[in-house]
Amino acid sequence: MNALLLAQRALVQFPRNPILLGFSVAPVLMMYLVFGGLFAGVAELPGFPTDNYFEYLAPAAVLLATVPGMGNAGVALASDLQSRYFQKLLTTPTSVGSVMLGRLLGDCVRLAVQAALVLLLAVALGAHIATGLPGALLIILLGTLLGIVTFGVVSANLAIRTRDAQAVQSVQPMAFLLIFLTSAYQTTDRVGSGVLRTIIELNPADLVLRPMRELVLSGYQGEHIGIGFLAIGGLALVGLPLTVRNYRSVYG
Amino acid sequence: MPATTSPLDELLELAGSGHPPKLGDAILAEDLAKTYPDGTEAVRGISLRVRRGESFGILGPNGAGKSTTIGMLGTLVKPTGGRARVAGFDVAADSLKVRGQIGFAMQDVGVDDFATASELIVLHGRLHGLRKAEATRRARLLLRATGLVPVANQRVATLSGGTKRRVDLAVSLVHLPSVVFLDEPTEGLDPRSRTAIWELLDTLRRRLGVTLLLSTHHMDEGEALSDRIGIIDHGELVVEGSPNELKSAAAPTLEDVYLHHTGVAA
Repeated sequence: MNALLLAQRALVQFPRNPILLGFSVAPVLMMYLVFGGLFAGVAELPGFPTDNYFEYLAPAAVLLATVPGMGNAGVALASDLQSRYFQKLLTTPTSVGSVMLGRLLGDCVRLAVQAALVLLLAVALGAHIATGLPGALLIILLGTLLGIVTFGVVSANLAIRTRDAQAVQSVQPMAFLLIFLTSAYQTTDRVGSGVLRTIIELNPADLVLRPMRELVLSGYQGEHIGIGFLAIGGLALVGLPLTVRNYRSVYG
Repeated sequence: MPATTSPLDELLELAGSGHPPKLGDAILAEDLAKTYPDGTEAVRGISLRVRRGESFGILGPNGAGKSTTIGMLGTLVKPTGGRARVAGFDVAADSLKVRGQIGFAMQDVGVDDFATASELIVLHGRLHGLRKAEATRRARLLLRATGLVPVANQRVATLSGGTKRRVDLAVSLVHLPSVVFLDEPTEGLDPRSRTAIWELLDTLRRRLGVTLLLSTHHMDEGEALSDRIGIIDHGELVVEGSPNELKSAAAPTLEDVYLHHTGVAA
């Protein structure tokens, strides 16, 4: 219950910081338009799974919204730790887990809305989502969960260690590397370097991106969706206990 | 002509029989200790007892262990030795139950800059399990009682340090706690704001009967607000008693007592 109240608090805050809100939405939409325009010719290559590159790129653009975007949860956590408001919340009958979950839930709603905007833009650019609205919701869910267990975890741990919002922000570009090292922009078989191909195939982000793209281009591939959720579960099994342990080691 | 009711009267009415009788101990600490992971022994076995409705002041130089002691009693810092009960609950084993009974105004004011004063008080009321209507009603009363009505709908970020402290105090009282911890409650405030907070705390204690535990390194503050005083130095409680009990012919003022026990001028 308290986590929901704190999620509500986070949601009230977002519109009060229009610069943050604007700059977390606009660049993603712009990158989608720019990359879609720059690499549109890729869709003309023989064997490419679609002739509309925006369709291919849409799931990656969702990840560009959700993965770096989840870093803002860490920035907010660092700010709360720095201002001591986090500790103030812990003087109420609210657990550490509920305080963090509340923030996370608020950010999940924000990022889900941003991801939905990306998909709406994709549709406006002629993309067709093969699995319709249920598939779009599943894409948003997968993207948001991946954001939590990757950059959500990284930024939360940095926030706990440093209590410095700027330090947390400074690692956000790493999120782009995580996404660039996937089949986000072109199919893996066209990547020249064997080493990079291997990295892409082993990248958990790609294991999640693949079923997301299939939901847009072809339909439900149960096995791949299962692998995507397993990858998220695996990262969660490592990241969440690590965060709890880190918090305990710093704040006792 | 109907009699006007003060916000504190209304709060007192709300507190009603919900508060425990003024019998027994509100705070009981036995050999409470804290050693941080880097080996720093911040508190080295403090024992103290504060009766319900009493006001106890902890005095001591910077770094003496005041904030760590108050932090352990307020469940923000995990003790590494000893035990303590606050409002009848163990601070380590029942921390959430303790938090339900206490208000805690911290040394570094912990407020959400993006919220308004009114929203903050309501949120904290709800985190303490109050329904929205009840939390809103109490927020209105507390805003009046603390003189915050003119800034109720302003973002906390825009308020002065002294006003933020009053907001923090109002937030700490919304659930009408039986025990209130105040860590350096007037640090950094101008004399006028300090006096205003002293008056408010004294009124709240007299009218609502809450137990106060405050830490300060200002002798005048300790003497003005405390029934009993404990002086902490190097993580140990070196002396405790009422201000009059502590004073003697050799140490006629609290400053003298403090200097005698800590070797540091107040």
